[in-house]
Amino acid sequence: MQPELERELIRKCKAGDTRFYEPLVRAYEPSGLRLAVAMMGNTEDAQDALQEAFIKTYDTLHRFDLRRPFGPWFFQILRNQCRDMLRSRKAKFRMEFHGVEFEEQLEQQPADAERGPERLRQRNDARATLWQGLERIGPEHREILVLKELEGFRYGEIAQILEIPEGTVASRLFHARHALREALRDMKAEYP
Amino acid sequence: MSAHRVSPDDLMRYLDGELPPEERARVDAALAGSTELQREIAIYRALKSEFQELSFHPADRYTSVWDRVNARVTRPIGWMLVVAGGVAWMSYGVYVFATSASDPWEKLATGAIAIGILILFASVIWERYQEWLRDPYRDVHR
Repeated sequence: MQPELERELIRKCKAGDTRFYEPLVRAYEPSGLRLAVAMMGNTEDAQDALQEAFIKTYDTLHRFDLRRPFGPWFFQILRNQCRDMLRSRKAKFRMEFHGVEFEEQLEQQPADAERGPERLRQRNDARATLWQGLERIGPEHREILVLKELEGFRYGEIAQILEIPEGTVASRLFHARHALREALRDMKAEYP
Repeated sequence: MSAHRVSPDDLMRYLDGELPPEERARVDAALAGSTELQREIAIYRALKSEFQELSFHPADRYTSVWDRVNARVTRPIGWMLVVAGGVAWMSYGVYVFATSASDPWEKLATGAIAIGILILFASVIWERYQEWLRDPYRDVHR
């Protein structure tokens, strides 16, 4: 979404017109879901966290500085929501659906010369292994990996979202990647 | 140049394209002279690449959260309208009752608003009670 359009939508939302919040929700829902799933481990809890984060974001829009980008601000709220839920008794990180999803992909994609079923299965196995590795590392490692690798945030934006100095982002990323690498090694995974 | 002269933090910044050109050149030179460093960077690149291909989106089963969000964010507006309307009617009713003999339809309209408000309050109290039942911190003593 164009920054100017985004600012205009937020301006209208701040004025109390909730209709203009829908494009923002639709725009940030896929990336928000990725972060939430990575932190919560399953779609159900991720959806709950995402919903609450969007509501909290709307409720605090009056405090939002229009000169700053909306994305990092929203992700900060979402990340805090996920952490709150993980601290609660109900939502514990639990992995789900990924194996099923990979199987569905196998059925949906016909075999061809370059992407035969065996190759696809190997890739899916590798992804499943990676998911299991993610399960073994802490949420603080998962969140920074998702923000960097999936959402493609720059270090400055990650620092803002995680509320840490920019200088420590590289260090946090190193520890997260190292932890994942060690987890995969412990699993005897031939990966990467 | 040995691998030891490239810190883990600089290695991450190099991997993520966050190093300024002169620092990047320094790491490039270190990489050229160290197979150990080349191996390290290759592993992290492979991990990064595979991670970026992870699928998180179960499209078949996923439904947008917008409807639920919309229901929650528009609720305050509904409340404000109800309260404003209620206050207006109450004021009018009080005025009418105070200045003239009351008509039956006015009593009915006023009574309907009062009952509506009572129902809404009851529904909120019920919802809060349900939330309290699900509150993971309710047993935490401050």
